Amino acid sequence: MKLLALMKKEFYRFFHDPRLIVTMLLPGIIIYFIYSVLGSVIWDDEEKNYTYDVYVSGESQITAVFDGLVEKGTVKFIQTEDVESAKEAVKQEKAAALIVFPENFDELVADYEAGSSPVDSAPEVQIYYRSADESSYSFYLLASGAFGKYQNRFVINNGAAYDLSDANEISMSVMGGILPFLVVIFIFSAGMSVTLESVAGEKERGTLATILVTSVKRSHIALGKIIPLSCISAIGAASSFLGVSLSMPKLMGASVGSVMSSFGFLSYLFIFLLILSVVPLITALISVVSAYSKSVKEASAYTGMLMILVMVLSLVSVFVSDIGGWIVAVPILNAVVCMQNILAMQFSVWQSLVSFGLNFVYTALLVFAISKMLSSEKIMNGS
Amino acid sequence: METDLFDGEIVRVDGLRKTFTLSRKQQRTEKTGLKRKIAVDGLSFTARKGEIYGLLGPNGAGKTTTLRMLSTLIKPDAGDAFICGESIVRNPQKVRDKIGFMTSELKLDGFFTPDYLFNFFGEMHGCGKEELKQRKEELFARFGIDRFANVRVKDLSTGMKQKISLVVSIVHEPEVIIFDEPTNGLDVVTAKVVTDFLLELKNMGKSIILSTHIFSLVEKLCDRVGIIIDGKAVADGTLQEVCGGVTLEEKFFEIYRSVKGVEE
Repeated sequence: MKLLALMKKEFYRFFHDPRLIVTMLLPGIIIYFIYSVLGSVIWDDEEKNYTYDVYVSGESQITAVFDGLVEKGTVKFIQTEDVESAKEAVKQEKAAALIVFPENFDELVADYEAGSSPVDSAPEVQIYYRSADESSYSFYLLASGAFGKYQNRFVINNGAAYDLSDANEISMSVMGGILPFLVVIFIFSAGMSVTLESVAGEKERGTLATILVTSVKRSHIALGKIIPLSCISAIGAASSFLGVSLSMPKLMGASVGSVMSSFGFLSYLFIFLLILSVVPLITALISVVSAYSKSVKEASAYTGMLMILVMVLSLVSVFVSDIGGWIVAVPILNAVVCMQNILAMQFSVWQSLVSFGLNFVYTALLVFAISKMLSSEKIMNGS
Repeated sequence: METDLFDGEIVRVDGLRKTFTLSRKQQRTEKTGLKRKIAVDGLSFTARKGEIYGLLGPNGAGKTTTLRMLSTLIKPDAGDAFICGESIVRNPQKVRDKIGFMTSELKLDGFFTPDYLFNFFGEMHGCGKEELKQRKEELFARFGIDRFANVRVKDLSTGMKQKISLVVSIVHEPEVIIFDEPTNGLDVVTAKVVTDFLLELKNMGKSIILSTHIFSLVEKLCDRVGIIIDGKAVADGTLQEVCGGVTLEEKFFEIYRSVKGVEE
């Protein structure tokens, strides 16, 4: 009952303050408009119903997933043995993509047993494309999505260098790669705006001490802050995330539908779960810093440094390929890398599940730390 | 309960000691080279049920530190105190339900209304809804808060804020009420409301411990008084026992001069 009353108080504080609600939702709306406007300037508003000329090297039955589109004339497969010339054609925008199946691909797929065979030995389909070309990138998303249902049987583009765009052109597609990084930053900034005020602010104003002289358990005070503040931060982060994810395809020149359809239900579920694990962790982290600080000013300085650290590490992870499995043990960063893998169609269930679980363990440890800090007169009273 | 009430003793303070570490800045301000300051030094006293006990002393004597230890906000370095038989060291959570603590350092969030805060702190102490409703009506009417029950605290006058703090601190009908400088910063009208209410609480059988440096307040309200100088209890007893026929002010300065070694 006491925990419920503490949680209700935090929700009441937020939902009865229009200024807090506006500051929480506004970033997402602004991002959506800025990205959309930027996208419409970069990309002209041409008809988005492309036809794709696609080179295919090797053979496989899985191209049957495109039968409907081939009949409609949307996709035209051109069989080739000269991979290098085909790559050149893709580079020069003469073809949308090049799909390379290894020899005896279908037999390799039939022999491969997901789970028991080593991942390295999984058959690989290579799709060469240009992320900077609207039509080429759109086909890549379409093909990745269509082949996605065979995800446990083979891998698509294991490694890098399948994007044939030059460095400048790639920069736009990198925007898609940094989406998880942006999500974490949005959660951080949403969390900062409410948590600093609620924890460091209450401590500074002496209103937290008024609660400390009641018989409520310190762990309930900690949870009574973390749970509602996480929900509120999630609202703010969701607003920013929606703003980015709805406007990102416009910025990249693809349609929302084609990007959305390229990811399966499982991908969305895991992205959601990873975000779900990161929100309370970041809220708890900011709460620890806030509880330790003497004032909101001091807390925001520390949190700012923490945010920069997370930003730098998350950004580095965008550009470093083949990060080892140890990354799942690093709080927050594990979710960033897992989300990047999901978006790059290199999704690992165990990695995502372990990251999800570990982030909750870290959150529980931080809640325990906050309870201890609330009992510490040195921290609460500065004596 | 760890110990039974002995001879009506509701608060027993037993050799409380508290020291604070001084920062370099604080050392310069206090003009001392010592790294630790003894705020309370082996303090002992007893308050009886249904009485008002006054802790009288100059600024910096250790009154507030003592009350903060009794209210379990800070822990003593040595010694213990028992409130309704519960140890402040071993059972602070149980002590918190037995006491109401009011001090200027505990603030109410100005965003909320008196009505919301009363219910919230009532729930924090585990009070039932019906009990809370009845008590709120009674206390809000008694202090004239009812007209402002749904106005945010930040929009109310200082006097009204003080009344709300007072009401919120006793929302759970505590056995012992601890007040740090109860009339500090109040206008004469609000101060009178507070002192009258303290007497009313006493008549209701509540026990009160208050700290003050105002002699007249002790003379008007307190049954027993403890004089505290430099963290040590230098006198303790009923007003008659402590004063011995002279006024409290005269007695205080007589003790103060002897403790501090100041010539007449």
